[in-house]
Amino acid sequence: MQGWVILALLLSLGVLHSRGQNGPSELAVPHSLTLQPDLPAQTLSLTWQSDSSLFDIEIFHTELMNVVLNETVAVTAGPVTGQRGWTWRSPSPLECTSHSVQIRARNQQSVSQWSPLQTIPGSDIPEKSESYMYPQDKVVPVGSNMTFCCIVKEKYNFKEIMYKGQTMNATRLSRRAYAITVTNQPASDNTGTNVVCCSPMFTLTGAVVFVGYPPGDEGLVCETRDLASAECSWKKGRDTHLRRKINRTNYTLNGRDCLEANEGKTWMCNWKVWEENWTLVARNPLGTVRLTDSAQLADRVHLLAPANVTAVEVEAWNATLKWSWPVAAYKKLEMICQLKLIGHELSSTRNYSGTGLSSVMLEDLWPDVDYTVTVRCGSKHAFWKSGDESAPYSIHTKMDRPDALDVWLWMDSSNTGRVFWKPLSERESHGALVGYKVSQSSAEEDMWTPVSLPPERLNYPIILNNSSDITVAVAAQNPAGLSQPSAVTTPAYRADSQLSVSELLGTHGTFELSWQPNANASRGYVVEWVPTGCRGLCPVNWEKVPESDRSFTVKPDSLEGGVRYTVSVYVLSAGAASLLQRWQGYSQEMIPAQSVVELSVNQTGSDVLLSWKASAMEHQRGFIRGYTIYLANAARLDLVANISDPEVRSYRVKGLPLSSYKFIVKAYTSAGEDMGLTVAIKMEIETAEMLFVGILVPLAAMFCCLILISICCYKKREWVKKAFYPEIPGPKVPGDWSSPQGPLDVKPSPHSLVHIVESPEWDFSKKGLVPVPEEEEEFENDNIEVDTDSDEPALLRYYNHVVGDGSHSNHVSDSSGSSTASGGSTQTEVTYTGIQSPSSSQGVCDGGGYRPQMQSAADPAEPQGEFEADFQDDSLNTGYKPQCSWQLDSPEAENLSGSLGSPTSVTSSQFLLPESSEEKPQSSNTWFHSFLSGKS
Amino acid sequence: MTGRGANGRRGLRGHAGKTSALARLLHKECIELLEAYRNSESLPSSPVAGDYLVSIPPLVPQLSDAEKISILRAALKECLRLLEDVITREDADFSDEDSEYRRKRKTVRDRLGHLLASTEQLVDGHKFEAEVKEELDGQAAGGSFGLKKWIVRVLQELVHWTGQTSDTLHSLPAEMEKTPKTMSRRTRKGGAGKIRK
Repeated sequence: MQGWVILALLLSLGVLHSRGQNGPSELAVPHSLTLQPDLPAQTLSLTWQSDSSLFDIEIFHTELMNVVLNETVAVTAGPVTGQRGWTWRSPSPLECTSHSVQIRARNQQSVSQWSPLQTIPGSDIPEKSESYMYPQDKVVPVGSNMTFCCIVKEKYNFKEIMYKGQTMNATRLSRRAYAITVTNQPASDNTGTNVVCCSPMFTLTGAVVFVGYPPGDEGLVCETRDLASAECSWKKGRDTHLRRKINRTNYTLNGRDCLEANEGKTWMCNWKVWEENWTLVARNPLGTVRLTDSAQLADRVHLLAPANVTAVEVEAWNATLKWSWPVAAYKKLEMICQLKLIGHELSSTRNYSGTGLSSVMLEDLWPDVDYTVTVRCGSKHAFWKSGDESAPYSIHTKMDRPDALDVWLWMDSSNTGRVFWKPLSERESHGALVGYKVSQSSAEEDMWTPVSLPPERLNYPIILNNSSDITVAVAAQNPAGLSQPSAVTTPAYRADSQLSVSELLGTHGTFELSWQPNANASRGYVVEWVPTGCRGLCPVNWEKVPESDRSFTVKPDSLEGGVRYTVSVYVLSAGAASLLQRWQGYSQEMIPAQSVVELSVNQTGSDVLLSWKASAMEHQRGFIRGYTIYLANAARLDLVANISDPEVRSYRVKGLPLSSYKFIVKAYTSAGEDMGLTVAIKMEIETAEMLFVGILVPLAAMFCCLILISICCYKKREWVKKAFYPEIPGPKVPGDWSSPQGPLDVKPSPHSLVHIVESPEWDFSKKGLVPVPEEEEEFENDNIEVDTDSDEPALLRYYNHVVGDGSHSNHVSDSSGSSTASGGSTQTEVTYTGIQSPSSSQGVCDGGGYRPQMQSAADPAEPQGEFEADFQDDSLNTGYKPQCSWQLDSPEAENLSGSLGSPTSVTSSQFLLPESSEEKPQSSNTWFHSFLSGKS
Repeated sequence: MTGRGANGRRGLRGHAGKTSALARLLHKECIELLEAYRNSESLPSSPVAGDYLVSIPPLVPQLSDAEKISILRAALKECLRLLEDVITREDADFSDEDSEYRRKRKTVRDRLGHLLASTEQLVDGHKFEAEVKEELDGQAAGGSFGLKKWIVRVLQELVHWTGQTSDTLHSLPAEMEKTPKTMSRRTRKGGAGKIRK
């Protein structure tokens, strides 16, 4: 029996051994796997039993069997229990969904079978039908990453998860669970950061996460205020952003809670006993800070503020101040106190020390000043810090007599001057001034005659009745009394003209003066500057300079640009001040305010002389360095001359053609030239020349012409006579014309005309001078104005119009009335070949003198209307028509050969002018025309 | 009651008008308060899931105006209690830093008290009580967000009941003018707590 049992054991061991060495089944499956979740920490602790030391672990989200972890880990067995344990930190809260875990043993490539799944349920199991969100109220540091999950209520749909109002990308963990992961979280607001889970219709659930910082407190310092207890304070440091009360920083000082600090109201913690070593612990959910301090009580005395500060005695220059201490122990403390005095433009800090100091005397105060005093003290030995400052206390010092005045006497003439004094500052007057007292005395009269002046007066006129100097003393007065009088003796007046006044150039608005030292300057020097040329109440400035100084700079605040100043340096000695040196200058030169004056311009032939005067000194605003002369030309100015000598005040512009000119003269200083003064001139011929050219020359020319004409007429008088007064020959009658020798007194009827018709076949026996019928006379008379038979009358009329009526009368007189003589001769053999009278038919009306026979070319039988028409045509068209046209127009003219119309001597059958058919019509009027037009 | 004549009725109508205006103003401020809270907490505008916290008897037409007002006043009274609880809890949990929400919250609380005092004169002796289905203590498990969600629910409740009250008071003067005797009779017969729960 025992043998069978042993055999069975050996067989079973053999089987087991063979299993362990062949295939996976050889490794034992881990057993007794247990899961222990830590929900706040989001960790899952696994414990199991196994002989192996290497294990594969798989963790799933149970519902969807998503692998969350698949890892091989080496785990040693516990020394006591022999259990193996391993902890997994879940990225998402374990409540979000159910987690399942399986484990198997591994030996290199050999693995055991998986252990049975172990599951921890999440909150999304059907038994929990409400909405949930995890994690809740977690406190995390700024910048951390977190996963939030939402479990949706049964029968509700998931819509979104919002983090701080922003929709986040959600991943599904199970049927009802969704998760978001937030990275690098910012600090929360007052009530934390909300993570909200929503269905399409409602806000289902949510969580709050508090994101902040660990405590940042620092600088613990403990001190005593009453020389017994401790008062520890520290700096809060960075805001933790954890405002929820349970998340606030908690403070303990040496293990004792700091109640006020924990309320978040103060950053100090008190303890009634001084302990020398102090430890402050500041703790919040995100961290802990430990601060320490160590000191002796005497080294950390911080005194309280003095109480009841009062001034027990106040004088003009000092005051006594007292106060009390709220802590009795201070009376034995060696302390140093600081008094701060704040007055009007007067502030100072003074230190006093003593044991239990409670009274000090304030010295070196100023009279009539309001002071505000504060006191604070500290421990003198091992000074820690100044104590609290007392409440301000005001004191007002009493008044005192004013300081002596700074007085100067300025002479503006040899016997008049004015004493000036500078106003006292508040610090110098020691009380509101009520006025000044001015006294003067002369050398002869040793008697002071005081004058009271109101406080606003700062000068007083001085008149020297005789040549002796006078001394003026001025004192200021306030309710406390009179100041020490300041005396000054009249300096000798020295006019600028009596001195060699140097030109002074300003530098950056100042005058920099220097002078040679004077041995008599026992009391120093006085620099005085006054606007040049000022009389009476002038802005006199002065400054007293110590005798050791040889230079002085006049500050720009008392100088005005563009104003000429007379700067004088006086030597101060026991007697009257004496003038040492004098300058005139401008602190800053400017362009002249006013240009030249009295600018005038005069023409001399083709030259122009410009002259002007300089403007008044107050308008110059700088030393005049010269003048510029411009010629204004349209929109530009042409520089004519630049006169660099300011004494030259005239300029001659030469060789200007006749025209209008506008000149501008500008004065200039070192700052530039002014706007200029303009003067205009119109260049004209001068009167004598104008008289000569305009009147005498034409008159002379006319006179010469007349002389020439007269000479010419005289020389050509024969021709003229022929032309104008041709000699009329007497009629030559064949036969015996025993007529009486008297003048032929033939008076034909003024209305009788002889119509002489030349005809070769004329029968003189039958026909002779044929009296013109009355009708023809009338006809011609009727047409006296419109005689179209001959051009001559028309030409004459034309020239009559040209030369005037005189010629007309001459013409009438020229007309010979010889026809009247012929008129009476019925037997004459004289053949008139159409002699044309130079006169018009109007001359007929005269009836006197010789008259050539007129022959009308017109056919008497022609109707009158045609003449009128022709006349009208002529007059309309030309008014003047050459004779050739007349010939064409006159049908009868063809029978008169070419000589018709030429002047013909009544005694000769020869024409007076050359026979030319073309020239004949020009006979009498051409020369006349030439004569009038100046041709010979 | 006994001394109330024509002048008293006119005075009642005038007072009802003022109360109606007060309720309208309060309703507007409750809306603003809810909006301010949602803004300060970056909460979505969708309502928080859940039934009304305060329940009252149905406002059937058979009820008189005074009875309706009395019932609504009971609901408002519970709202005030809920609001004060919320304020206490909120101030206990978080720092009491000044904010627009906190200023409005105080205004609503004060004005709701005034409305309750004002409506007391209109209920004519009727007294009803409203029921609150949930309490703040039960929300502790919800953590800080549970409190915030509760605050939203309370503010939603305020908006609802002040709106109801405002509407009811707005239609009150005309009806009261028509049925002064009914009110009077019901008051006399019914007395207090006719539908008291």
